[in-house]
Formats: sequence, C-alpha cells, structure tokens
Amino acid sequence: MSNSQASGHIPDLDLITYYSENSYSFLSRASPWIKLIGLIAIILILTIVKSVEVLVALYALLFLLYWQIGLPIRKLFDWCLLPVLFVLSLVILLMWNETGVPLFSLKIFWVSLTLTDNGLLLVVRLLLKALISMTSSLLFLMTTKYAYLSVMIYRIFPFPIDQIFLMSYRFLFITLDMVDSMIRAFKSRGGGLIKSVVRQSQTFAEIFALVFIRSYDQAERVNKAMESRGYDGTYTTSTEVPQMRPIDYIVLLVFLVVIIYLLLFHNSSISR
Amino acid sequence: MKKHIDPVQNHAFSEPHELIHIDCASHVYPDGSIGIHDLCFRVKENEIVALCGANGSGKSTLLEHLNGLLLPSKGNIYVMGEKIDSTTKKDLWKHVGIVFQKSDDQLFAPTVLDDVMFGPLNLGMNRGEAWNAAMEALRAVGAEKFINKIPNYLSGGQKRLVSIAGILAMKPKIIALDEPTSDLDPKHAEIIENIICELKENHGISIVLATHDLDLAARIADRICIVKGGSVIAEGRPSDIFYNVDLLEDAGLKEPKIVQVYEALCEFKKIEIKRKPVTVEELVKSL
Repeated sequence: MSNSQASGHIPDLDLITYYSENSYSFLSRASPWIKLIGLIAIILILTIVKSVEVLVALYALLFLLYWQIGLPIRKLFDWCLLPVLFVLSLVILLMWNETGVPLFSLKIFWVSLTLTDNGLLLVVRLLLKALISMTSSLLFLMTTKYAYLSVMIYRIFPFPIDQIFLMSYRFLFITLDMVDSMIRAFKSRGGGLIKSVVRQSQTFAEIFALVFIRSYDQAERVNKAMESRGYDGTYTTSTEVPQMRPIDYIVLLVFLVVIIYLLLFHNSSISR
Repeated sequence: MKKHIDPVQNHAFSEPHELIHIDCASHVYPDGSIGIHDLCFRVKENEIVALCGANGSGKSTLLEHLNGLLLPSKGNIYVMGEKIDSTTKKDLWKHVGIVFQKSDDQLFAPTVLDDVMFGPLNLGMNRGEAWNAAMEALRAVGAEKFINKIPNYLSGGQKRLVSIAGILAMKPKIIALDEPTSDLDPKHAEIIENIICELKENHGISIVLATHDLDLAARIADRICIVKGGSVIAEGRPSDIFYNVDLLEDAGLKEPKIVQVYEALCEFKKIEIKRKPVTVEELVKSL
C-alpha cells in the first residue's frame, strides 16, 4: 500500500482497497450482494425520507458500524470535508429562500436575507444525506474485496460499461501512483509552497497534462500486452462471489420492512 | 553488416526444428522511423537466445514481431514453416508469449488468478481448464500463494513471477522476455533466472530474452545475437561473442564480468586467452 497521497481529504483508493482486502469483520464476511442491496436500500431511504430524526438515527447507526468494525474514524472525518464543503456551497443560496419561522435576518446593502427554521433544516438535511451517502459507500467499499466487486460490476452492468469499470480500477491505481510520485518529486524541489497562485496553477496544469499524456501511453502499453495474450475486446472475470446465506436473507427482509415502513409513513409523520 | 538471407530460399532449407523465422527487410513505424531492418532471426526448439544490445537498439521491436504485435513492413515471418501475414498473425500469440519489461503493463486484472486465467480463457479453454492451467503455471513459478491478491500489493519481483505465469499458462512454444531481471533485487533476479532455465529444461520452451545484462546472457543463453541500430550485427555462442571486445564496444556493450576477470588474469599472467570462459564454473575450470 502506498503511504502517501495527493490530499488527505480525498478518499484514498489505496487505503480503501487495503481495508477491503485485509478486514475480517462480520461485515467483510457478509455476502457482497447483501451489502450492495443494503447500499441501494440506504440510497432509497435517502430519496424518500426528509425527517431529520430518521436521518440522524441512520447516520449514527452507520457511524457506529464504521467504528465497530475497526475502520479509520479519523480518516472518515478528513474525507468528510469535501462533501461538506460541496453541500454548503450549494445550500448557501438555497437556505434563504425557504418559508417558515424566521430565525434571523441579514441586510446587505439593499438585499434583505432571512433564515427560517426550514432553511436551517434544509442545510442539516442535505449535510446528513451527503454524509450518509459517503459513509455507507465507504462501508461497502472498505469491506468488499475488489475481486467480488469486479464480478458484481461484470454481472450488473451491460457491455461495454462493465469492461470500462473492470479495467479502469487497476488503471486508477497506476495513475494515482504516477501522480503521487510526480507530486513528491515536485515537493522535493521546493514545490507545493504557496509563493504565487499563478505559478502554482501553472505547475499543477503542467502536472495534469503530463499525467494525461503518460496515462495515454500506459493505456497503449496495457492494450498491447492484452493483445499479446489474445484479447479480442471482451474480458470476463473468473472469481466466484460467495452466495447469500440464510442470515443474509433475513437481513434482506429487514431492509424491505424498513423501506416499506418508511414508504408508508413518508407522507405523514416522517416527512416534514 | 550481417549477411541478409533470402527469405524464400532460407525458408526452403530451414531446419525441421526451427520454430520461428523472421526475415525482416524493414519495419517502419507510422512516424517514419525505422525500428528494425535487414534482419534475419531464428528461434529453434529448446534453446535460449539472448538479444543483446544498447537501449534503443531495436530489441523490443524485434520481440514484438515474434508475437505478431508488429509485422515487417517488408519481409516475412514463418512460424513452424507457415508464413504469417495480416490475416494469420492473430494466431501467433498462441505460439509465442511475451513477458513485457514493465509488469504493470501486463497485470491489469483484479486478482492474480484472474490475470493468469486471462490468456487460457482467450485460447478457448473452459473455466475449469483455464483454472488448472493457471494454477499449474503459478506453481511452476512459485507464485501460487498470491492467487487472490490484487496485483498492486505485490512487489516488483512477485509481479514479474505472475507475469511469467500469465504467459506460461498459455503453454506457448516460445516465451520472449523483455529485460526480465531489470529493476529486480538480486534474490528475485536469481529466481527469475532459475525459472527461465527451468522453462527450457522442464517444459521444453524456447526462450528469447532481450537484455543488456550480458552477465545474465552469458550464464543462461545458448546463443547470443548482438543487436545494433535495428539489425542483428552478429550471432554465435556466448564464448565467441563475449570475447569480441571490438564488436561489443561497437554495439555499446561491455564484456561480462567473468570475461573481464579472465582477460585481466591472462594479461597479468602473460598467457594467451584460450578457453574463453563465460560463467563462474567455466572460469574455475579454466584456472
């Protein structure tokens, strides 16, 4: 596993894969299919539920699970920064337009802005939804071996999307390593210190261009190596995904019950 | 310049155990640069041929001709007597496997087992047969313990072993290896060297290796081809080639260490170079 990365706030693909390959928690032993269904169920819940209480409970549950199976909590906080910033950049304008009980008003020149209780709830709700999506996806990725993931991609997605997914994952590692070594070489010669924003932007643009060119070269070489072994445009995986066990079916039933319950109460007490 | 042999004439009199014969008048890249030219290259059954040359001499281009990745712009390739053209080149990979210089170019699949099974599945084997072939190849190179690993978590030496297994699983008649021990620590380089010898001895596979490590070539090769400027300028037994200082200098190479030691000893003792040892064992015998 590489021990460095471009930014501590970007989910590190290497670290995610390291946990997926070396974690032996109950979630790692669970059927990959049930975990995928679980992830889909959570996304469904996120689309139908507006209740902040339900979202808080769901996030707490996921967070506890994440902590309980020994995944890195501190990293999770680091990785939260980008989605949080993303959501805030979106709702910073939307939150002033919500009707409700005014909490406070702001007057900037001739524009008057009022934040209502519903505006505040919108911020909290969207933040929770972003954090839940991220944490549940990380839980899935950090407890599912890549070999299983690749088979699932192969079974779910149609051709040629499955091929793109199957090959891009390994290629991402190689590209990230390349970016990583270039940035380290850049830093080793005094780069990375903010001396001039223009110079900094130019340097990163140069690195990006070089990565693009080298990735293209790498892709050509990989294709050549594949053709030399008879690749004709179709690649199939050979790994077998563990079948669902009785306990997995019980979990599946629980998911169904929860979703049906939320659907039934969506238009009444749960939705606000 | 090595004498150019007429392809048809040569083909008619080719030895029965000749596996592959490349007679390339030229290979021109799309940008107009010449990769190889005026080149005649043969691989016989159960031999190790080392293509030795400086960087950019055309070794890798020649290897890609062996597998059909490239075809001569002018000239012909014969595999077991059959002429290969653009329609039949698609089958060349079944006979000749290439282990590329950078293992990361070759290992693309999610797991080691998937990667090694890739070739056999392309050969038309069913999953069971492909699995057996892959396991057999992984055992042969001592990499069976990595089957479920992601290639990313392998060291450079382990990746090289898996790359060789990926080719061996296809049971080719010839394996071409591009700089097989470059970037490897001495321990892994020795393992790879032993595997190359075993492939020839135990599996009857002919080996073509492109290298500028003349010590390696001296130890394992039956025949040496010196490549310079896209052409084979000399070929022969290691003892004949490696004691030709002028030839090696012309090709941008340096004699193997054993040759340097023996020559220094002969000069020191003021004796004539007679036996021409190229390996440690031969040097000990000579002394």
